[in-house]
Amino acid sequence: MILREPANAIDPRMRTYWTVQALLATLAVGALVIAATATAAALGGSTAAWLIGLLGGLGVALLGCLSLVAVRVGYRHFRYEVTEHGLYVARGRLWRRHQVVPHARVQTVDTTAGPLLRAFGLVAVEVSTASAAGSTSIPGLRPEVAADLVTELARRAELEEGT
Amino acid sequence: MTGEEIGGRLHPLAVLLIARRFVGASLLPAVALLLSAGTRVIVPLLTVAVLVGVPLAILSWSRFRYRVVGRRLELHSGVLSRKVRTIPLERLRGVDVTAPFLHRLLGLVRVEVEAAAGGGSRAELSLAAVSRSEAERLREVLLGAAPRGGDEAEEARSRRLYRATRGLLALGGITSMRYLLAPAAVVGFVFNLADDLPGDVAGRAADAAADQAPTDPVLIGLLAAAGLAAVVLVAAAGSLLVDWAFTLEDDGERLSASRGLLTRRLVQLDRGRIRGVNLRDTPLRRPFRIAGATAIAAGLRGRSGGTTLAPVIRTRDAAALLRSVDPHSPDPAAPLAAHPRAALTRRLVRALPLPVLLLVVATATLSPWAIAAAVVLTALAVLLALDRYRQLGHRFDGRRLTLRGGSLLRRWSELDPAAAVSFELRSSPGQRRAGVCTLTLHLGQGAGSRRALDIGEAQAAELMALLEPRLLAPLVAAPKTGREAA
Repeated sequence: MILREPANAIDPRMRTYWTVQALLATLAVGALVIAATATAAALGGSTAAWLIGLLGGLGVALLGCLSLVAVRVGYRHFRYEVTEHGLYVARGRLWRRHQVVPHARVQTVDTTAGPLLRAFGLVAVEVSTASAAGSTSIPGLRPEVAADLVTELARRAELEEGT
Repeated sequence: MTGEEIGGRLHPLAVLLIARRFVGASLLPAVALLLSAGTRVIVPLLTVAVLVGVPLAILSWSRFRYRVVGRRLELHSGVLSRKVRTIPLERLRGVDVTAPFLHRLLGLVRVEVEAAAGGGSRAELSLAAVSRSEAERLREVLLGAAPRGGDEAEEARSRRLYRATRGLLALGGITSMRYLLAPAAVVGFVFNLADDLPGDVAGRAADAAADQAPTDPVLIGLLAAAGLAAVVLVAAAGSLLVDWAFTLEDDGERLSASRGLLTRRLVQLDRGRIRGVNLRDTPLRRPFRIAGATAIAAGLRGRSGGTTLAPVIRTRDAAALLRSVDPHSPDPAAPLAAHPRAALTRRLVRALPLPVLLLVVATATLSPWAIAAAVVLTALAVLLALDRYRQLGHRFDGRRLTLRGGSLLRRWSELDPAAAVSFELRSSPGQRRAGVCTLTLHLGQGAGSRRALDIGEAQAAELMALLEPRLLAPLVAAPKTGREAA
């Protein structure tokens, strides 16, 4: 390990949120498989319908299981921290990615929440820099934690500006 | 700056250029009409075009006004719906003066203003045609230089940093893979087409060629030589056309690069926006010891924010040019720290699967030609992987970070780490097994990113701590001494 891990985890409710998202996506793919099977059956190819249904069903089941694992792993390995001079975010297990954004380089800090995320009582904080590739986000925080984070980032940015 | 105001309309002759634009827009429908209705309609059509196009152009010209008020540039435009664009001068990142062919005939230039709106969104503003002197005045006011310093004083202060000779430009064109790839694409297209031709035309043509080949090798040789000569000529001509009399000048605050034979283009760059310098070359250029130099600059349009410092330059002259652009620029010839051997393995693993598969297939066909071709391809892939590894390198001298990578398009970059808006460290499972990772510095504002591919983990930790001692050093984990020793 080259860099130490950031101190904070995101809100545990993110696990449920991502799980719901993954299930919705799996259901959508499942609906497609059912539609494909029905079409094949309607066209009279019963062997084809069986094959599509079986393989598609297996695929959907595999997708569901994998995404459930991915949600757990993704949650456990998403960490962030506001250090003295920058925002430090780490994500991913297999393809690990550490980002450090100096406070002085932060252009905007947005707090956003889609309908589903709001239903969980969570918000996302998006930090943008002059580079789209260099921007980052923290997806699941309680509103009061997010507000503290935004205030802290703004305060630090001002301090850095002064130096 | 004082409250000096300049402004007004575009040059009256701009009406012609605007009218031409209208005509250009209606050309296709007009041609379609002509083809369907015959020549009988051409006179009324032309009449309508003149009756509508010219007043419209005049109206559009009269409604377009620009002015600099206080610290703002305002552009008023629009025939039916009026529009006012306002842009604070602090937001201006550059002023480009271009002289396309028609403009040159009329003695006019086009001025394009580049602006950065907050939050990274961009608005480009353009003055379609103004006189040369007005463009000069605008540039001075917009960029906040002394508005009336006298042109002579300006001339005297500006220093020529580089001028490309015709011979170098021609050589650069020939050795840039870019120009060579175009004919190759044409050849590929023709071969693809030949496959689709009915009646085995391609096969018969190949047979005919094969019949001819042994009997008349001289002709084949001549044809090949002629083809090669044509490609070389086109490449050299293209380079000369685009970069004719490329000149880079420095007036202390700004660099000005002018180039082009038919369309003369002037690009200006504030020294304050320069974050570093790139040198690019190709395997064809390396034997001639020439390279192309670009500046890494924030807020410039175009790919990866590079603005050309020299389209082609001898590498022995490059160091001096780089230092006059960036005083802290390290010598491009200085040795770099190599990346771990594991990076070589990774290059080979990535390069080999396809050629090896082809080799297996070729062996299965038992055709000696196919096997020979696959062997050559595999050898080339190995050579490429070796070179890609050999070119990887990094170095930090306390002020500038130097990174090098690529082979067919090799890029050497030096940059100020303070210019990074964000640092990123990525590691895939394969990289972790090999003990390497990828360190990326995002520069932002169109200047792109620079990365150290497959840098060793210990190297990355050391480099990060040195690059940003306050920001990154506290995040670097204590080195595992046991593993380092092993």
